[in-house]
Amino acid sequence: MTAGGGHHPAEPTEVERRVAAIESLLVEKGLITSDMVDAVVETYEHDVGPLNGARVVARAWVDDAYRARLLADGTAAVGELGFGGAEGEHLAVLENTPAVHNVVVCTLCSCYPWPVLGLPPRWYKSFAYRSRMVREPRAVLAELGTVLPGDVEVAVWDSSAEVRYLVLPLRPAGSEGLAEDELVPLVTRDHMIGVAR
Amino acid sequence: MDGIHDMGGMHGFGAVVAQPGEPVFHEPWEGRVVGLMVAAGAAGLIPGSLRPRIESMDPAAYLAASYYGRWAHALEAGLVATGTLTVDEIDTRVAGGDPVPTRSSATSPALVAAIGGFLDAPGATSGVPVAAAFAVGDRVTVRRMAPEGHHRCPRYVRGVAGTVTRVAGGWPHPGEHEPEAIYTVRFAMADLWGADAEPGSLALDLWERYLA
Repeated sequence: MTAGGGHHPAEPTEVERRVAAIESLLVEKGLITSDMVDAVVETYEHDVGPLNGARVVARAWVDDAYRARLLADGTAAVGELGFGGAEGEHLAVLENTPAVHNVVVCTLCSCYPWPVLGLPPRWYKSFAYRSRMVREPRAVLAELGTVLPGDVEVAVWDSSAEVRYLVLPLRPAGSEGLAEDELVPLVTRDHMIGVAR
Repeated sequence: MDGIHDMGGMHGFGAVVAQPGEPVFHEPWEGRVVGLMVAAGAAGLIPGSLRPRIESMDPAAYLAASYYGRWAHALEAGLVATGTLTVDEIDTRVAGGDPVPTRSSATSPALVAAIGGFLDAPGATSGVPVAAAFAVGDRVTVRRMAPEGHHRCPRYVRGVAGTVTRVAGGWPHPGEHEPEAIYTVRFAMADLWGADAEPGSLALDLWERYLA
Protein backbone atom coordinates (compact mmCIF):
# COMPACT_ATOMS: atom_id res chain seq x y z
CA MET A 1 0.00 0.00 0.00
CA THR A 2 1.29 3.45 -0.78
CA ALA A 3 1.82 5.86 2.08
CA GLY A 4 -1.39 7.73 2.69
CA GLY A 5 -3.47 4.83 1.47
CA GLY A 6 -4.43 4.45 -2.15
CA HIS A 7 -7.46 2.25 -1.66
CA HIS A 8 -10.49 3.28 0.34
CA PRO A 9 -13.73 1.41 0.10
CA ALA A 10 -15.39 3.83 2.54
CA GLU A 11 -15.98 7.53 2.02
CA PRO A 12 -13.05 9.46 3.51
CA THR A 13 -13.84 11.18 6.78
CA GLU A 14 -13.43 14.88 7.47
CA VAL A 15 -10.32 14.37 9.58
CA GLU A 16 -8.79 12.13 6.93
CA ARG A 17 -9.42 14.80 4.29
CA ARG A 18 -7.97 17.55 6.45
CA VAL A 19 -4.81 15.58 7.23
CA ALA A 20 -4.37 14.78 3.52
CA ALA A 21 -4.90 18.46 2.64
CA ILE A 22 -2.30 19.55 5.20
CA GLU A 23 0.23 17.00 3.94
CA SER A 24 -0.39 17.98 0.31
CA LEU A 25 0.00 21.70 1.04
CA LEU A 26 3.21 21.25 3.06
CA VAL A 27 4.69 19.03 0.35
CA GLU A 28 3.64 21.31 -2.52
CA LYS A 29 5.12 24.33 -0.76
CA GLY A 30 8.39 22.42 -0.37
CA LEU A 31 8.27 22.71 3.43
CA ILE A 32 8.53 18.97 4.02
CA THR A 33 9.11 15.93 1.80
CA SER A 34 7.07 12.74 1.78
CA ASP A 35 10.00 10.61 2.88
CA MET A 36 10.12 12.50 6.20
CA VAL A 37 6.56 11.43 7.00
CA ASP A 38 7.18 7.92 5.67
CA ALA A 39 10.19 7.56 7.99
CA VAL A 40 8.05 8.16 11.08
CA VAL A 41 5.33 5.73 9.99
CA GLU A 42 7.88 3.04 9.17
CA THR A 43 9.68 3.54 12.47
CA TYR A 44 6.57 2.74 14.50
CA GLU A 45 5.16 0.10 12.17
CA HIS A 46 8.40 -1.87 11.87
CA ASP A 47 11.26 -0.79 14.14
CA VAL A 48 10.07 0.54 17.51
CA GLY A 49 7.53 -1.49 19.45
CA PRO A 50 7.06 -3.76 22.47
CA LEU A 51 9.74 -6.15 21.23
CA ASN A 52 12.28 -3.56 22.36
CA GLY A 53 10.86 -3.58 25.87
CA ALA A 54 10.69 -7.37 25.88
CA ARG A 55 14.41 -7.52 25.13
CA VAL A 56 15.08 -5.16 28.02
CA VAL A 57 13.00 -7.29 30.39
CA ALA A 58 14.58 -10.56 29.28
CA ARG A 59 18.04 -9.12 29.80
CA ALA A 60 17.06 -7.94 33.28
CA TRP A 61 15.78 -11.41 34.13
CA VAL A 62 19.04 -13.13 33.27
CA ASP A 63 21.57 -10.47 34.27
CA ASP A 64 21.40 -9.12 37.83
CA ALA A 65 23.94 -6.38 37.17
CA TYR A 66 21.91 -5.20 34.18
CA ARG A 67 18.72 -5.23 36.26
CA ALA A 68 20.41 -3.05 38.87
CA ARG A 69 21.51 -0.57 36.21
CA LEU A 70 18.03 -0.63 34.67
CA LEU A 71 16.38 0.22 37.97
CA ALA A 72 18.94 2.93 38.70
CA ASP A 73 18.78 4.69 35.30
CA GLY A 74 16.29 3.28 32.81
CA THR A 75 17.28 5.54 29.93
CA ALA A 76 20.96 4.61 30.14
CA ALA A 77 20.26 0.89 30.53
CA VAL A 78 17.86 0.64 27.57
CA GLY A 79 20.42 2.66 25.64
CA GLU A 80 22.89 -0.17 26.20
CA LEU A 81 20.61 -2.33 24.03
CA GLY A 82 20.41 0.37 21.36
CA PHE A 83 16.99 1.75 22.32
CA GLY A 84 16.04 5.35 23.07
CA GLY A 85 14.46 8.49 21.67
CA ALA A 86 11.36 10.65 21.93
CA GLU A 87 9.21 9.94 25.01
CA GLY A 88 12.02 7.90 26.51
CA GLU A 89 14.32 10.70 27.59
CA HIS A 90 13.83 9.86 31.26
CA LEU A 91 12.69 6.28 31.75
CA ALA A 92 12.00 4.90 35.19
CA VAL A 93 11.56 1.14 35.57
CA LEU A 94 9.13 -0.21 38.16
CA GLU A 95 9.98 -3.66 39.45
CA ASN A 96 7.10 -5.97 40.28
CA THR A 97 7.63 -8.19 43.32
CA PRO A 98 5.54 -11.01 44.79
CA ALA A 99 4.05 -8.37 47.12
CA VAL A 100 3.65 -5.36 44.77
CA HIS A 101 2.12 -5.00 41.32
CA ASN A 102 2.77 -1.80 39.35
CA VAL A 103 0.51 -0.40 36.65
CA VAL A 104 0.91 2.73 34.50
CA VAL A 105 -1.64 5.23 33.19
CA CYS A 106 -1.65 8.84 31.97
CA THR A 107 -4.79 10.67 33.02
CA LEU A 108 -3.99 14.01 31.35
CA CYS A 109 -3.15 12.71 27.87
CA SER A 110 -1.54 9.37 27.01
CA CYS A 111 2.13 9.59 28.01
CA TYR A 112 3.84 6.32 27.16
CA PRO A 113 7.46 5.11 26.84
CA TRP A 114 7.64 5.03 23.04
CA PRO A 115 11.23 3.73 22.57
CA VAL A 116 10.48 0.51 24.47
CA LEU A 117 6.75 -0.01 23.80
CA GLY A 118 6.07 1.87 20.55
CA LEU A 119 2.88 3.91 20.27
CA PRO A 120 0.09 3.15 22.74
CA PRO A 121 -2.92 0.94 21.97
CA ARG A 122 -6.39 2.46 21.77
CA TRP A 123 -7.55 1.22 25.16
CA TYR A 124 -4.61 2.95 26.89
CA LYS A 125 -5.76 6.24 25.32
CA SER A 126 -9.44 5.64 26.06
CA PHE A 127 -11.33 7.95 28.39
CA ALA A 128 -12.39 4.90 30.40
CA TYR A 129 -8.81 3.81 31.13
CA ARG A 130 -7.58 7.35 31.80
CA SER A 131 -10.42 8.14 34.20
CA ARG A 132 -10.71 4.85 36.05
CA MET A 133 -7.25 3.33 36.46
CA VAL A 134 -6.27 5.86 39.12
CA ARG A 135 -9.47 5.30 41.14
CA GLU A 136 -10.32 1.59 40.81
CA PRO A 137 -7.27 -0.23 39.44
CA ARG A 138 -8.32 -3.67 40.63
CA ALA A 139 -11.66 -3.36 38.88
CA VAL A 140 -10.02 -2.21 35.63
CA LEU A 141 -7.36 -4.92 35.82
CA ALA A 142 -10.07 -7.54 36.29
CA GLU A 143 -11.92 -6.23 33.22
CA LEU A 144 -8.70 -6.68 31.28
CA GLY A 145 -8.38 -10.25 32.54
CA THR A 146 -5.97 -9.78 35.45
CA VAL A 147 -7.38 -10.70 38.84
CA LEU A 148 -4.82 -10.04 41.56
CA PRO A 149 -4.73 -11.91 44.87
CA GLY A 150 -5.91 -9.76 47.77
CA ASP A 151 -2.50 -9.75 49.41
CA VAL A 152 -0.78 -8.15 46.42
CA GLU A 153 -0.52 -4.38 46.78
CA VAL A 154 -1.43 -2.38 43.68
CA ALA A 155 0.78 0.64 42.95
CA VAL A 156 -0.63 2.92 40.25
CA TRP A 157 1.67 5.37 38.42
CA ASP A 158 0.03 8.37 36.72
CA SER A 159 2.58 9.51 34.15
CA SER A 160 2.12 13.24 34.53
CA ALA A 161 5.37 15.16 33.98
CA GLU A 162 8.72 14.29 32.36
CA VAL A 163 9.29 10.71 33.53
CA ARG A 164 7.99 7.76 31.50
CA TYR A 165 7.44 4.42 33.20
CA LEU A 166 8.07 0.81 32.22
CA VAL A 167 7.02 -2.12 34.41
CA LEU A 168 9.55 -4.90 34.93
CA PRO A 169 7.29 -7.95 35.35
CA LEU A 170 8.05 -10.99 37.50
CA ARG A 171 9.93 -13.73 35.69
CA PRO A 172 7.39 -16.50 35.08
CA ALA A 173 7.60 -19.56 37.29
CA GLY A 174 9.08 -22.47 35.38
CA SER A 175 11.19 -20.28 33.08
CA GLU A 176 14.41 -20.83 35.04
CA GLY A 177 15.92 -23.04 32.35
CA LEU A 178 15.20 -20.66 29.46
CA ALA A 179 17.87 -18.55 27.81
CA GLU A 180 17.50 -14.80 27.25
CA ASP A 181 16.29 -15.20 23.64
CA GLU A 182 13.71 -17.77 24.75
CA LEU A 183 12.40 -15.40 27.42
CA VAL A 184 11.76 -12.51 25.02
CA PRO A 185 8.53 -13.97 23.53
CA LEU A 186 7.09 -14.43 27.03
CA VAL A 187 7.04 -10.66 27.62
CA THR A 188 4.04 -8.73 26.30
CA ARG A 189 3.20 -5.07 26.02
CA ASP A 190 0.50 -5.59 28.64
CA HIS A 191 3.04 -6.95 31.15
CA MET A 192 5.15 -3.83 30.67
CA ILE A 193 2.20 -1.45 31.14
CA GLY A 194 1.13 -3.50 34.12
CA VAL A 195 -2.33 -4.62 33.03
CA ALA A 196 -1.06 -8.20 32.95
CA ARG A 197 0.77 -9.74 35.91
CA MET B 1 -5.76 24.78 32.21
CA ASP B 2 -8.33 22.74 34.06
CA GLY B 3 -10.02 21.28 31.01
CA ILE B 4 -11.86 18.20 29.87
CA HIS B 5 -8.51 16.45 29.34
CA ASP B 6 -8.04 16.16 33.14
CA MET B 7 -9.95 12.88 33.44
CA GLY B 8 -8.46 11.15 36.47
CA GLY B 9 -11.23 9.84 38.72
CA MET B 10 -14.19 10.77 36.51
CA HIS B 11 -17.19 8.46 36.22
CA GLY B 12 -19.29 7.55 33.24
CA PHE B 13 -16.87 6.45 30.53
CA GLY B 14 -17.79 2.77 30.75
CA ALA B 15 -15.65 -0.32 30.42
CA VAL B 16 -12.09 -0.54 29.17
CA VAL B 17 -12.18 -2.63 26.01
CA ALA B 18 -8.99 -4.04 24.54
CA GLN B 19 -8.71 -5.21 20.95
CA PRO B 20 -6.39 -8.21 20.58
CA GLY B 21 -3.92 -7.90 17.73
CA GLU B 22 -4.58 -4.21 17.28
CA PRO B 23 -2.50 -2.58 14.51
CA VAL B 24 -0.18 0.34 15.29
CA PHE B 25 -2.29 2.58 13.06
CA HIS B 26 -5.93 1.68 12.39
CA GLU B 27 -6.11 3.90 9.32
CA PRO B 28 -3.31 5.25 7.11
CA TRP B 29 -4.16 8.87 8.03
CA GLU B 30 -3.31 8.13 11.69
CA GLY B 31 0.24 7.30 10.71
CA ARG B 32 0.41 10.35 8.47
CA VAL B 33 -0.67 12.67 11.28
CA VAL B 34 2.04 11.33 13.60
CA GLY B 35 4.53 11.59 10.76
CA LEU B 36 3.42 15.12 9.90
CA MET B 37 3.74 16.23 13.51
CA VAL B 38 7.30 14.95 13.71
CA ALA B 39 8.24 16.11 10.20
CA ALA B 40 6.81 19.59 10.77
CA GLY B 41 8.72 19.77 14.04
CA ALA B 42 11.96 18.67 12.35
CA ALA B 43 11.42 21.32 9.66
CA GLY B 44 10.91 23.99 12.32
CA LEU B 45 7.32 24.68 11.29
CA ILE B 46 5.58 24.15 14.64
CA PRO B 47 7.55 25.05 17.74
CA GLY B 48 6.38 24.02 21.17
CA SER B 49 4.28 21.22 22.57
CA LEU B 50 1.13 19.74 21.08
CA ARG B 51 -0.51 19.33 24.47
CA PRO B 52 -1.64 22.93 25.01
CA ARG B 53 -3.22 22.88 21.55
CA ILE B 54 -5.09 19.69 22.35
CA GLU B 55 -6.20 20.98 25.73
CA SER B 56 -7.56 24.18 24.22
CA MET B 57 -9.96 22.25 21.97
CA ASP B 58 -13.65 22.87 22.51
CA PRO B 59 -14.58 20.29 25.19
CA ALA B 60 -17.37 18.74 23.12
CA ALA B 61 -15.02 18.43 20.14
CA TYR B 62 -12.36 16.89 22.39
CA LEU B 63 -14.76 14.21 23.56
CA ALA B 64 -16.01 13.51 20.03
CA ALA B 65 -12.56 13.19 18.48
CA SER B 66 -10.33 10.13 18.43
CA TYR B 67 -6.83 10.33 19.88
CA TYR B 68 -5.25 10.95 16.49
CA GLY B 69 -8.16 13.23 15.63
CA ARG B 70 -6.96 15.42 18.50
CA TRP B 71 -3.44 15.25 17.08
CA ALA B 72 -4.83 16.38 13.73
CA HIS B 73 -6.49 19.32 15.44
CA ALA B 74 -3.22 20.24 17.20
CA LEU B 75 -1.23 19.87 13.98
CA GLU B 76 -3.55 22.21 12.10
CA ALA B 77 -3.72 24.69 14.99
CA GLY B 78 0.07 24.77 15.21
CA LEU B 79 0.59 25.32 11.49
CA VAL B 80 -2.06 28.03 11.42
CA ALA B 81 -0.65 29.74 14.55
CA THR B 82 2.78 30.04 12.91
CA GLY B 83 1.30 31.31 9.65
CA THR B 84 2.59 28.26 7.75
CA LEU B 85 -0.90 27.47 6.46
CA THR B 86 -4.27 29.22 6.64
CA VAL B 87 -7.60 27.66 7.51
CA ASP B 88 -8.95 28.97 4.20
CA GLU B 89 -6.40 27.14 2.09
CA ILE B 90 -6.93 23.92 4.04
CA ASP B 91 -10.73 24.29 3.66
CA THR B 92 -10.35 24.93 -0.05
CA ARG B 93 -8.20 21.89 -0.52
CA VAL B 94 -10.58 19.72 1.49
CA ALA B 95 -13.55 20.93 -0.59
CA GLY B 96 -11.84 20.23 -3.90
CA GLY B 97 -9.83 17.47 -2.65
CA ASP B 98 -8.28 14.23 -3.28
CA PRO B 99 -7.92 12.39 0.05
CA VAL B 100 -4.64 10.90 -1.12
CA PRO B 101 -1.79 13.25 -0.20
CA THR B 102 0.49 14.67 -2.84
CA ARG B 103 3.84 12.82 -3.03
CA SER B 104 7.04 14.79 -3.39
CA SER B 105 9.70 13.70 -5.83
CA ALA B 106 12.29 15.49 -3.70
CA THR B 107 13.78 13.77 -0.66
CA SER B 108 15.36 15.09 2.55
CA PRO B 109 18.09 12.64 3.58
CA ALA B 110 19.50 14.89 6.30
CA LEU B 111 16.11 15.54 7.89
CA VAL B 112 15.13 11.87 7.63
CA ALA B 113 18.35 11.02 9.45
CA ALA B 114 17.57 13.64 12.08
CA ILE B 115 14.10 12.15 12.57
CA GLY B 116 15.68 8.72 13.03
CA GLY B 117 17.99 10.14 15.68
CA PHE B 118 15.07 11.82 17.41
CA LEU B 119 12.80 8.76 17.50
CA ASP B 120 15.08 5.75 17.55
CA ALA B 121 18.52 6.25 19.03
CA PRO B 122 19.90 6.11 22.57
CA GLY B 123 20.35 9.45 24.28
CA ALA B 124 21.40 10.96 27.58
CA THR B 125 18.98 10.83 30.51
CA SER B 126 17.02 14.08 30.70
CA GLY B 127 16.72 16.23 33.78
CA VAL B 128 19.39 18.30 35.52
CA PRO B 129 20.35 18.60 39.18
CA VAL B 130 18.57 21.55 40.79
CA ALA B 131 18.03 22.91 44.27
CA ALA B 132 15.11 21.02 45.83
CA ALA B 133 12.99 22.25 48.71
CA PHE B 134 11.78 18.76 49.61
CA ALA B 135 13.58 15.47 50.21
CA VAL B 136 12.66 11.81 49.99
CA GLY B 137 10.42 10.94 52.93
CA ASP B 138 8.96 14.45 53.32
CA ARG B 139 5.21 14.81 53.67
CA VAL B 140 3.90 17.32 51.13
CA THR B 141 0.45 18.64 50.27
CA VAL B 142 -0.58 19.49 46.73
CA ARG B 143 -1.66 23.12 46.57
CA ARG B 144 -5.19 24.19 45.82
CA MET B 145 -5.06 26.17 42.57
CA ALA B 146 -6.89 26.95 39.36
CA PRO B 147 -4.17 27.65 36.79
CA GLU B 148 -5.26 28.89 33.36
CA GLY B 149 -2.04 28.06 31.51
CA HIS B 150 -0.78 24.64 30.50
CA HIS B 151 0.26 22.59 33.54
CA ARG B 152 0.59 18.96 34.65
CA CYS B 153 -1.16 18.89 38.00
CA PRO B 154 -4.37 16.83 37.85
CA ARG B 155 -7.32 18.08 39.87
CA TYR B 156 -7.74 14.82 41.75
CA VAL B 157 -4.51 15.22 43.77
CA ARG B 158 -5.06 18.85 44.83
CA GLY B 159 -5.35 19.40 48.54
CA VAL B 160 -4.16 15.84 49.23
CA ALA B 161 -1.07 14.98 51.29
CA GLY B 162 1.46 12.40 50.16
CA THR B 163 5.07 11.36 50.62
CA VAL B 164 8.02 12.22 48.40
CA THR B 165 9.55 8.97 47.15
CA ARG B 166 12.00 10.34 44.61
CA VAL B 167 13.55 13.62 43.53
CA ALA B 168 13.57 12.94 39.81
CA GLY B 169 15.61 15.98 38.73
CA GLY B 170 14.93 19.40 37.27
CA TRP B 171 13.06 20.32 34.10
CA PRO B 172 11.48 23.59 32.97
CA HIS B 173 7.81 23.85 33.81
CA PRO B 174 5.71 23.99 30.62
CA GLY B 175 6.07 27.40 29.02
CA GLU B 176 9.25 28.28 30.92
CA HIS B 177 12.99 27.83 30.46
CA GLU B 178 14.63 27.44 33.88
CA PRO B 179 14.64 23.94 35.39
CA GLU B 180 12.61 23.31 38.52
CA ALA B 181 12.58 20.20 40.69
CA ILE B 182 10.11 17.41 39.94
CA TYR B 183 9.19 15.01 42.73
CA THR B 184 7.54 11.62 42.64
CA VAL B 185 4.86 11.76 45.34
CA ARG B 186 3.01 8.71 46.62
CA PHE B 187 -0.52 8.98 47.93
CA ALA B 188 -2.65 6.45 49.77
CA MET B 189 -5.72 5.57 47.70
CA ALA B 190 -7.95 6.26 50.71
CA ASP B 191 -6.59 9.83 50.94
CA LEU B 192 -7.51 10.41 47.29
CA TRP B 193 -10.87 8.65 47.08
CA GLY B 194 -12.21 8.20 50.57
CA ALA B 195 -12.62 5.46 53.11
CA ASP B 196 -14.21 2.98 50.71
CA ALA B 197 -11.43 3.29 48.13
CA GLU B 198 -9.55 0.27 46.90
CA PRO B 199 -6.41 -0.34 49.00
CA GLY B 200 -3.03 0.53 47.55
CA SER B 201 -1.13 3.59 46.45
CA LEU B 202 -0.87 6.02 43.59
CA ALA B 203 2.25 7.92 42.57
CA LEU B 204 2.76 10.79 40.19
CA ASP B 205 5.36 13.40 39.34
CA LEU B 206 4.78 16.99 40.40
CA TRP B 207 6.73 20.16 39.86
CA GLU B 208 7.83 21.89 43.07
CA ARG B 209 5.46 24.81 42.54
CA TYR B 210 2.49 22.47 42.98
CA LEU B 211 3.59 21.43 46.47
CA ALA B 212 3.59 22.89 49.96
